[in-house]
Amino acid sequence: MPSLRRFISHQNVSVRLLNFTNVMRVDIWLILNVLALAVIGWILMYSVARSASTVYLYRMILFFCSGVVVTIFFVSIDYRFLVNWAPLFYLGSIALLLVVLFFGTEAKGSERWINLGLFRLQPSEFSKIIMIFFLTWYLTKIGEKIRKLGWFVVTFFLVGIPLALILKQPNLGTAASLAPLVFAMLYVAGCRKVHLVLVLLLGSMLVPVLWLEMKDFDPSVEKETQTTLGLKHYQKKRIYAFLHPEYDYRGTGWHTYQSKITIGSGGISGKGYLRGTQTKLKYLPEHHTDFIFSLLAEEFGFVGGVMVIALFAIMLFRGLMFARDAYDMQGTLLAVGVVTVLAFHIFVNIAITTGLLPVTGIPLPFLSYGGSFYMTVMAGIGILLNVPLRKKEVEQQNMPTSIANVEVYRRKG
Amino acid sequence: MTDNREQERYPGIERRVQQIGFAIAAALLLLGVQLWRLQVLSLNEFSKLAESNRIWQKRLAADRGIIYARDGEVMADNRARVDVIIIPGECPADALDTVCERLETWLNVDRQELDKKIKASAKLPFSQILVKRDISRVDQIRVEENQHLLPGVTTIVHPQRRYLLGETAGQIMGYLGEINQAELDQRQELGYFQGDLIGKGGIELFYESLLHGQDGYMLVTKYASGQPQLRTDKAGRPMIARRDTIGHLLNLEAPPVPARSGEALNLTLDIDLQRKCDALLQGEQGSIVVLDADTGAVLALASAPGYDPSVFVNRGATEERLALLSGQKPNRMTHRAFREVYPPGSVFKIMLAAAGLEENLINASTRFHCSGSYAIDGKGRRWNCWNRHGHGSLNVVESLAFSCDVFFYSLGRRLEVDRIVAYSKLMGLGVPTGIDIAGESAGLIPGREWKAAMHADKPAWEKQWYPGETVNLSIGQGSCTTTPLQVTVMMACIVNGGYRVQPFLRQEAGPKRSEKLFSDTTIKTVTEGLRMCVERKKPAPTGTGTRAYIDGMDIIGKTGTAQVASLSFLSKYKKTEDIPYPLRHHAWFTAGVLDRTPRIAVTVLIEHGHAGGSVAAPVARDVIEYFYNHAATKPSYTITAGN
Repeated sequence: MPSLRRFISHQNVSVRLLNFTNVMRVDIWLILNVLALAVIGWILMYSVARSASTVYLYRMILFFCSGVVVTIFFVSIDYRFLVNWAPLFYLGSIALLLVVLFFGTEAKGSERWINLGLFRLQPSEFSKIIMIFFLTWYLTKIGEKIRKLGWFVVTFFLVGIPLALILKQPNLGTAASLAPLVFAMLYVAGCRKVHLVLVLLLGSMLVPVLWLEMKDFDPSVEKETQTTLGLKHYQKKRIYAFLHPEYDYRGTGWHTYQSKITIGSGGISGKGYLRGTQTKLKYLPEHHTDFIFSLLAEEFGFVGGVMVIALFAIMLFRGLMFARDAYDMQGTLLAVGVVTVLAFHIFVNIAITTGLLPVTGIPLPFLSYGGSFYMTVMAGIGILLNVPLRKKEVEQQNMPTSIANVEVYRRKG
Repeated sequence: MTDNREQERYPGIERRVQQIGFAIAAALLLLGVQLWRLQVLSLNEFSKLAESNRIWQKRLAADRGIIYARDGEVMADNRARVDVIIIPGECPADALDTVCERLETWLNVDRQELDKKIKASAKLPFSQILVKRDISRVDQIRVEENQHLLPGVTTIVHPQRRYLLGETAGQIMGYLGEINQAELDQRQELGYFQGDLIGKGGIELFYESLLHGQDGYMLVTKYASGQPQLRTDKAGRPMIARRDTIGHLLNLEAPPVPARSGEALNLTLDIDLQRKCDALLQGEQGSIVVLDADTGAVLALASAPGYDPSVFVNRGATEERLALLSGQKPNRMTHRAFREVYPPGSVFKIMLAAAGLEENLINASTRFHCSGSYAIDGKGRRWNCWNRHGHGSLNVVESLAFSCDVFFYSLGRRLEVDRIVAYSKLMGLGVPTGIDIAGESAGLIPGREWKAAMHADKPAWEKQWYPGETVNLSIGQGSCTTTPLQVTVMMACIVNGGYRVQPFLRQEAGPKRSEKLFSDTTIKTVTEGLRMCVERKKPAPTGTGTRAYIDGMDIIGKTGTAQVASLSFLSKYKKTEDIPYPLRHHAWFTAGVLDRTPRIAVTVLIEHGHAGGSVAAPVARDVIEYFYNHAATKPSYTITAGN
């Protein structure tokens, strides 16, 4: 009997692990959005090449192509499978973080890589994606219990382990990106608002601690100082330079100062493509990575800057739309997680370049040069594209053919 | 596997998602506002800063520490070298040609070269291109006065090392060279950058950290129509003028961080004495060492042939520089007082005499008989004394004076090789003296252990030490080698009454000396012997070093002749003049002065001089005579007692 078969097939939905036909059914608008951003990234890298090297441009294109493979993977795979195996990945990422802590190679004074000969492995990047899956698993596992304080708090411990390991590297930026992720996912998972407020209050108590940290800090004394938060000298110097903009232009304050000039001098319409003097004259270091937005703002002005922010905004809101309309809890949480991580990077990076926040290494999606991060972003995009597909799939398999079967299928949520 | 209940989305989730959306929107709006503030509201300010008034971060290079000799004479200092550079990107395209023309006329540069260089950097228009290096003051003023006619052209001042004494003490100075990767890795934290100059060799290397100083920084706004001017004061230090060429007052964005000059280095060297020693070594290869015997201060450390470190001052390889560095013979870069090693020859006997007396194997009156040759236990191979007829019966005093080989063969056998090695090291031979300069050689006193280690994987008969080797060693031949500096330290030990001093060049580095190593009686006896070597008294016989005698001065000394080729090989030459230069012996003379202030120890080594007494001793005499005549006129000579 046809209806029975369909009934059965609903209950045991045939799960194909990798379904490449998904690629055909993804949301076209998000794809276009991403493409636009990627292309802008290349355009900017070409400008960078004028004062640095063309290798950056070629590599960016390479990153994009590799990223597409990653995206296809995340689009095609059934995300429920990944979520179910999340705890394993979580443990794996902790193991990798431990490995890099003991065996990693130093780059600019912090251990972040494991050198595998051909390429470098950066575990802290993976942990972002893994955390999204893991938190999804955890929050859907406990479901309503998240409203209980106990389970709520446990979440923080679960996140705290990898966060502490990343912080030890020391990689303040990546560690910080996990914080809004936790909050957003908890919120969407349905925790009690009161609890969140409590935690935020607790967090705000950091301020006096920070004040204590910085109180006796003398930036000209070049030795490690007392610290309760485990902040290193150069990190304190950055905070100090942020609070006292006139201090130490040449070193710590230089980036922010120059970045503001770079952006500001772009004016409404910018100095023109390839004509950015600040970046060409090497006044602004690192303009191919963390300060790429400054280059954009210098060459394309306020108009260019706002346009790119708008593009990012559309991408993020679309992602949230997917979250809102997702079929199941997992989908919602995954989408929210990805959006939060992306939003964090976008907001913090641009805030740093415009002088609203002290300098830390947070790259900008699609625009900053950097392979590992590009992969993370493309993975995230893949996940976003995947979420609405589940609903489509379910809808497809549950087209009611007879009244009798309508009862079987109940739309939930 | 799917549990629909757990997948269930609770009511209100959509609203929460939307709230997240609002939060993100607010954050992005904030960014937009900040952009507005920077790019629209403050546009004037920022574009002024970026376009017309550019912030220029200038590194203020630190002066290198100045090196002074004993009396304040400047040996090495800095001068300002002015280069002219052009940044094509800052020159409007239509003016570039005219500018190049002007540069060609005024500075006499090769126009084609310049055009080539500018073309080559077309992709990086804002890089600096060197137009001319080290321009004259006249040219500098001309370029700076005509800034408005030369957009994109600017002068850059570099402090540059200047060696004022030419070849005198050239090898001691060392020289500066560009820092290489290995050195850069080592010194990264200390503020070194690619392209910095760092000491290579000599004092410049040893005291690099003292001399280097610390760079400063300055932030200056640059007006589109003018250039910030860097002027130099009389001493060659760059000063920052507060006005540019148009007369705009320059705006310092932040207080400049001044450069901290390197520390000055005060050396113990007496330059007049050093010059005299160089003059005495003219035409020869060799060295002269003069130490203050009581403190170890190095008064002169001469080596010939030498070189002028100014050859290395400008970058780029020149023929002269390549010739020096390639080790063409004779090697001018090696300092023959502490880096070259030679067999000590008879000056080694000083150590043996002191050792024998101290060990109570002999005393002042012990006599051995020299028949002209010696054999171990009376049989087997015979070693000859330089005097074939034999000296007859003599004591240690006379043996030192006449440099009798046989006496010391006997004494050496009694001492045995282990004690010889031990006492050598005690007196400073075969070990680095610890002088504060780079590149000191340790020399070698062979002994049982050394031989065993050298031939570790060979059969026992090759590893073993034979008594015949002790015999050879006793007169300073065989495999043993020392540096003239070490020999001077040994002599100083006798002169100052039995202490070993550590030679030092930097005034603040010393004096350092050991505890008393020899008893007064030992010293007295050895001194007698060394005095007799130099004294001219009637009747004969006199010692071997009488050509160092100065009437009225208590000079002690010892001659030495270090064999390079075996005597039997040389016997085929009838006359000394016939022996080819490289086969002649090295001529040693080491001396000390006891009755003057300060007491000095002098060692002269003339390579291939062939006879210590006749060639090296007169040189020592001249040095001593000059020194005391001239020291009498200098107030800087005082005795500082050791520990």
